[in-house]
Amino acid sequence: MRLLDLLASAVLLAGLYATMAYGLGIIYGVLRIVNLAHGGVIMAGAYLGWALHRWLGIDPLLTLPFVAAFGFGFGWALYRVVVRHLPRGAAGGVQSLLLLFGVWLVMRNAAYLLFSGDDQAIRTDWSTRALRLGEISLPYSRMVVFAIAMLTLGGLHLLLNRTFIGKAIRAVAQNPDSCTRVGIDVERIYAITFGLGSALAALAGILGATIFSFSPSFGTTELLKSFVVVVMGGLGSVWGTAAAAFVLACAEVFAILEIPSYLTGAVGFVLLVLVLVVRPGGLFGRKVLG
Amino acid sequence: MKGAIAGLVALAVLAALPPLLSTYTHNLLTLTFLFVSTALAWNWLGGFAGQVSFGHAAMFGLGGFTAARLILAAAMPIPFAWLCGGLLAGAYALVWGHPTLRLRGPYFSIATIGVGEATRLVLTYWDRFTGGSSGLSLPMIAGQKRLLYWETLAFLALVAGGTWLIRRTRLGLALLAIRGDVEAAGDVGISPTFYQDAVLFLSGAVTGIAGAMYASYFSFIEPNDMLGFDRSISFVLMAVIGGVGTMYGPILGAIVFVLLRQFLIGSYPQLYLGLYGALLIAVILFEPLGLTGLYRRAVRHAAR
Repeated sequence: MRLLDLLASAVLLAGLYATMAYGLGIIYGVLRIVNLAHGGVIMAGAYLGWALHRWLGIDPLLTLPFVAAFGFGFGWALYRVVVRHLPRGAAGGVQSLLLLFGVWLVMRNAAYLLFSGDDQAIRTDWSTRALRLGEISLPYSRMVVFAIAMLTLGGLHLLLNRTFIGKAIRAVAQNPDSCTRVGIDVERIYAITFGLGSALAALAGILGATIFSFSPSFGTTELLKSFVVVVMGGLGSVWGTAAAAFVLACAEVFAILEIPSYLTGAVGFVLLVLVLVVRPGGLFGRKVLG
Repeated sequence: MKGAIAGLVALAVLAALPPLLSTYTHNLLTLTFLFVSTALAWNWLGGFAGQVSFGHAAMFGLGGFTAARLILAAAMPIPFAWLCGGLLAGAYALVWGHPTLRLRGPYFSIATIGVGEATRLVLTYWDRFTGGSSGLSLPMIAGQKRLLYWETLAFLALVAGGTWLIRRTRLGLALLAIRGDVEAAGDVGISPTFYQDAVLFLSGAVTGIAGAMYASYFSFIEPNDMLGFDRSISFVLMAVIGGVGTMYGPILGAIVFVLLRQFLIGSYPQLYLGLYGALLIAVILFEPLGLTGLYRRAVRHAAR
């Protein structure tokens, strides 16, 4: 029954991975920019949730919309203030990496000054208990995280497919020039997309903080895992992302049986290299946003 | 031609300096020589080829520890141990760099973030090789520091000469073509994989040798210092300050960086990460070619 137990925890972990990966993937899909500040936003979401819980005593579940809104605002502002000025094309690739890496460093340092480098965790009365189903033990925190991640991804799927804004985002991902011609404000769509991606990162941050402990460097491995999932799942496909997140979570959960715990962070990385060698187009092929 | 003469004069002056130097300046200059070499090597990859590495500390550390182990275990001539460390570091860079460089886009850069961190963890826990977090001590040999001053200076001259060669020969031109347009380069028969692999190996090997010389000079190395996140960032920053993709900008960038770290960041250890980040943002936003860009602007301004 150990196997079922591990499988269950892999499924629950996959929800979290899918959320943060989708945030990275949507920005890359639309703007062709890898948001290296993604890890920083994940970390900021975790600290925001922690601070609200610690100082105001608000349950992290209630602060989720607020944290998501913060992430959206942060991403939107980041685009409007700095990212907008980057050149597009080949030269912009190197510059956007360096610039957003700089933003991430500043965020880490700010968190370090505000909260010190100590490990923190969000502990609530539900986050430490578990539901027992025979031999399988399902921690409530992981189930809650999974449920919210699934709701978020479902909502995002609806947004992208059923609303005007969502359709505009997908259109811009395919061809920004034609969008300008039919009257879509491409710059606005870029800013909204950056906001959406960051909102997902912040959500993933606070959700992750109810399961794991975190410090200002939280988000480094999460950025890598997001990237692994985006590469495996192909861009923008919600199902591909979910499946890839499950593959990564399984690989990690089962690797714990075989290798020392300090190396589990490297599992995703090894998987990334394997996928790049074997199936550079992603496990499930590529698909445009939607 | 003028540049080559100026360079030779600078080398000659620096080579004649040691008798006049205090220990502090002696250390600072040797450190600068090593960092100038690594900044140039980083720029071959990040500037000429346009593949930004956030994990060069992995090669710096691997080169350092390999050479240190070889010096401790075998009665190997020291420069030979450095070379072995460099070759191993270059080969290691290829192991993870080859698959990620094959793909267009930022795969390589993202992978480097993971490589740097994973290598640091593995080397920290692999204490039979690296001594773990208590590190490795190398025997101190009388007069070795003075010798190393000249050796690192000679190494720097080699790397600077190499930069000129790379930039002027087929390798550099191929890299610039690949950076500009991978597909067009492929169409005219330039293999992106081959040239990027070649420059990755060279860049990794030079960084590894620099790590090995660093180990010999300070005769004590420790994984968190050799392979820390800030070590990787420092390589990026030196090239960015000087001017990514310019030929000799990284030399200036490394000098400015060493001074900056010594006088500014040394006094505010809790702020250094944010300062590095703010510098990156400022340079990319206002003058993407760094000091070289500023210099070119000034020259244009003076000509008008």
